[in-house]
Amino acid sequence: MATTEEFTDSLTSFAESCNENAKLMAMIKDWNRVMHIRATDFGADAGLVTQNGTVTALPDAPAAADLVLEADSEILTQIFYGELSPNDPYNAGTLRIQGPEDDIVRLDFIIAMLWE
Amino acid sequence: MKQAVSVSLGSAAGDFVRELTLAGQTVRLTREGTDGDLERARKRIKELDGRVDALGLGGIDIALSVGGERFLIGDGMRLAEAAVKTPVVDGSGLKNTLERRVVRELAAAGKITPQSSILMVSALDRFGMADAFVELGCPCVFGDLIFNIGLDYPLTTLPDIQDLARKYRSRLLTVPFRQLYPTGAAQDMSAADPRYAKYYEAADVIAGDGHLILRHLPPSLPPGKGVVTNTTRPHSLARLADAGASWVATTTPEMDGLSGGTNLMEAALVAVIGLPLPEITPAVYDEWIDRLGWRGTLHALAE
Repeated sequence: MATTEEFTDSLTSFAESCNENAKLMAMIKDWNRVMHIRATDFGADAGLVTQNGTVTALPDAPAAADLVLEADSEILTQIFYGELSPNDPYNAGTLRIQGPEDDIVRLDFIIAMLWE
Repeated sequence: MKQAVSVSLGSAAGDFVRELTLAGQTVRLTREGTDGDLERARKRIKELDGRVDALGLGGIDIALSVGGERFLIGDGMRLAEAAVKTPVVDGSGLKNTLERRVVRELAAAGKITPQSSILMVSALDRFGMADAFVELGCPCVFGDLIFNIGLDYPLTTLPDIQDLARKYRSRLLTVPFRQLYPTGAAQDMSAADPRYAKYYEAADVIAGDGHLILRHLPPSLPPGKGVVTNTTRPHSLARLADAGASWVATTTPEMDGLSGGTNLMEAALVAVIGLPLPEITPAVYDEWIDRLGWRGTLHALAE
């Protein structure tokens, strides 16, 4: 299990890394999404917003979301630190995503471009 | 009679059987669609293993050859491994040889000039064709992110494509292929995204995978456009003609109104060549392409 701080930091770190990558920002300029991230093991909710190429981490659950990602904190933290492709836990059933499958591919693509 | 079978993730509605005589040998070519069902495809490959001379994988690649590097596709690799006796090919051998030549032939015929702007809907799976356009000096837009990932960001250089392949390498092994490329009935669905019409409109030549080209084809194109693709059927040529395309060049030989997928034609070639797959180098493919006189077919659609 990750700590609450690690969980929050992974999202902040993800957002900062995206925003420091000009090419990535251009790639996702039209991909405007609100993501609700829920750590099921300690019941923490947070969010990520992509808007006009900029990514913002939210400390709390967004009011409405295009994508909901639910997993235990360790998996979520690993995903946003770039240590794990979301496809692996998604295919294994340990990451549940509500939302269009196309968006899962895009999120995974962003993570690959950032960390690989 | 030699037998080459393409087991495709495409729709079974596109199945066909044809016979071709290649260098004096008759080859029966069969295309079998599995409607996007990977398990069905794997079972069928297993059934055919050892019973036919060569197998092709349609609608999926085993690996992408990008600038001399090879990037394995997990789903494709697992399908190929279902056969242990019969050689399995994915068309990449012909994409890297025949398709380069077709682009050069079109340039020699004046259909493509160094000023022709090119939209290649995806280049990762057809690096040879992309390389041929770049060699000619054509300004290119490679739509891999647009048409496969759904992010409106054109790539314009071969190093961009190589960089993408390297960064996405681990994902190619694990991402379900259907998330990156339409399979089954999705191949025949038009899902034209209006954001992408600008790329079709700006290009003089639209090239690459036929399913991706048709998937986002706008209802009408400005006059004068050419298309370089394969796996065409009469209905796909009709759609391109209706949209206003001037000409279509298919990269694989025509067989009674259709052009086969590169995987099937490569399987036919491998069946005839009769060498173990590792010995069939690009030079061997080139030699046989010359010997058989394979070249692109130009269809004039409108003047």
